Formats: sequence, structure tokens, C-alpha cells
Amino acid sequence: MENTGRHEDWKSCFSEIAPGLLLFARQWVRSAADAEDIVQEAFVKFWRRNHNIKNRALLYAAVRSLALDFVRRDSRRARREAGVRAEAEEFVEPHFEFDDETQLALAHAVDQLPQEQREVLVMKIWNELTFVEIAKVLGISQNTAASRYRYALLALKRMLQPQ
Amino acid sequence: MRDLSEIENELRKLRPKQPSPILLERVAEAIGGRDAQAASAGRPSAAPHVFRNWLSLGAGLAAAAILLLLTLMGMGDGKRFVNEVSSISPGRETERALAARGERRSMAESTLRHRFIPAGATRVVYDARDEGLQFVAGSAQPLRRLRYQVQQTLQWRDPATGASIRVSYPSEEILLLPVSGQ
Repeated sequence: MENTGRHEDWKSCFSEIAPGLLLFARQWVRSAADAEDIVQEAFVKFWRRNHNIKNRALLYAAVRSLALDFVRRDSRRARREAGVRAEAEEFVEPHFEFDDETQLALAHAVDQLPQEQREVLVMKIWNELTFVEIAKVLGISQNTAASRYRYALLALKRMLQPQ
Repeated sequence: MRDLSEIENELRKLRPKQPSPILLERVAEAIGGRDAQAASAGRPSAAPHVFRNWLSLGAGLAAAAILLLLTLMGMGDGKRFVNEVSSISPGRETERALAARGERRSMAESTLRHRFIPAGATRVVYDARDEGLQFVAGSAQPLRRLRYQVQQTLQWRDPATGASIRVSYPSEEILLLPVSGQ
């Protein structure tokens, strides 16, 4: 009985956070399938240790660490393919579902942000982490996390301003 | 002029892509399998390391006992024992035992369940060399000879388990292009 309860718990937690977690992982890996692998591994390890989602900063830190490991492992292949990619403009699956052109432009602008600003933005907006949690994930101060978030919003504002 | 809170609101309206339905199944399999094991062992899954330590201790003791037994047999009637063991065909014995228990079919089914489907293919040309014009015997038209060094990568994926296989190999291709004079 207790076992079933735990199952339901993880399912509801996972369904709630999976889209945001995937978006977080997609910042480092180009393919959605690779991001899913990373999220699966991180979530399963996290859930086995914690059995709740209270300390979610650890989960995001695990996803980030696995994604960076993946990038390191894959870097040699990526270097080989880099030249071809640049020429062929490889298709990258979109990270968001769009309703209109404005949203498309906004998503494109998010992609243009520097990595350190984008990861804070993704954790804050689509994963609803607090600055304290974001600071813990990234190993930075709370103030730095907040200022990166602000810089990200300012950069988006600049990019979206009509010329 | 857009306010920052206005941008925040617009960002919140953007919906991240939903994960594939297979992901939930994979996580369920990984988490559910582990919980089921813990439940059947009658131990809480929160302390698996204790169980694992006892298991390894037990396995170690069993291995030591078997070694001791074999040593003792080798000292006495070892030759007869070795002959008996080598006369048994393990493959046939296993098949017979499985057939008797009706497990052959389930073994075949479990093998079939793990199916890999093609998940991607890349072809990277990392070197291209123009080797100049050539006249092949019997041909009046010159041919341009191009040599490519290629790295091909193929990937398969098992949607049920998330396991993937990646095969990467180099190859060399020579292309002969007819050149027409103006």
C-alpha cells in the first residue's frame, strides 16, 4: 500500500516538473532524446535517495552535472561535426510550443541569451525555483542569481524592442 | 516600451515542450522495478546498501566454500569428477530444463521485447581533396577525381529501456565527375 502511494507521489511530481526539467537540460544538449535520457537518470537517482521533491535544488544540480558530463563526453564528436553543422544549419527541435509569431520571437530571443543568464531564467520562469535554490544549483550567491535574472530580462527587452 | 514584469508575464505564457510518453514509462520502470524488488525482499528500499553488503558477504562465503570443496575433491577422486562434469552438455541441459518449466518461450519473448529502432544517422565529411583531371581508357571526356574522407555515425535506440547503440566508422569515397569543355 505504502509502495503504491510512493508511486503516485513520484508520478505527480514528475508530471509537474518534467517539462521544465527537460527545458533546463536542453540548454546543453541539442536533441530532445538526449535531454530525456539525462532527466530520467537524474530524476531516478534523486527519487531513490529522497522520496520527495522538497530539496529540488539537488535535482536541478544533478541534471546540470549530467548534462555537462554528456557534453564533455560528446565534445570530440561535436568538434568533428561542427563544420558541417555550420554549413548545413542542422535542424534543432524547438524548445517551446508556440501560439503566435510573438511567442516565436520571444523563444528565439531566449535562445540568444548568454548561457549563464539563460539557465537562471529557465529555472526561475519555467521551473519556479527561488533565487536561494538557483544559487544553490549554480554554486553562486543569491544576489548574483538575482542580477543574472535581471540582466536576462533587460537583454530580452532590448532584443524585442521594435527597431 | 515594455516593462520587465510584462516580459516576465509573456515568458510565463510560453509553454515548454512536453516530454514524450515513453519517458514516463521509462522512469516508472526504473523506479517501480526497484521498489518492487525492495518490497519482495521485505526490506525498505531506503537502505539498499545494507542489503547489498549482506548479499556480497554471502556470495563471498559461498564462493570460498565451493573453492574449498573443489580443492578437496582434486586431492582425492578429482579425475572422475572432472570427467563427469565435462560429459554434461550445459546447453542441452539448460534447454531441457527450460522446456520442462515452459520458460523457453518467455526467454524468446524477453529477447524480442528489446528492439532497437534507428534513431539517427550523421555523415561528416572532414576532408575533401581534388586530385585533378583524369582520362579513363576509352573515354574521350576527362573526369575530375575527388577524394572524400567521411565519418559515418549511426544510432539505434530501444524506446522501452532508453538504451542506445552508436556505431561510428571512417570511410573513404572517390567520386569521378565528368567535365565538359565549353
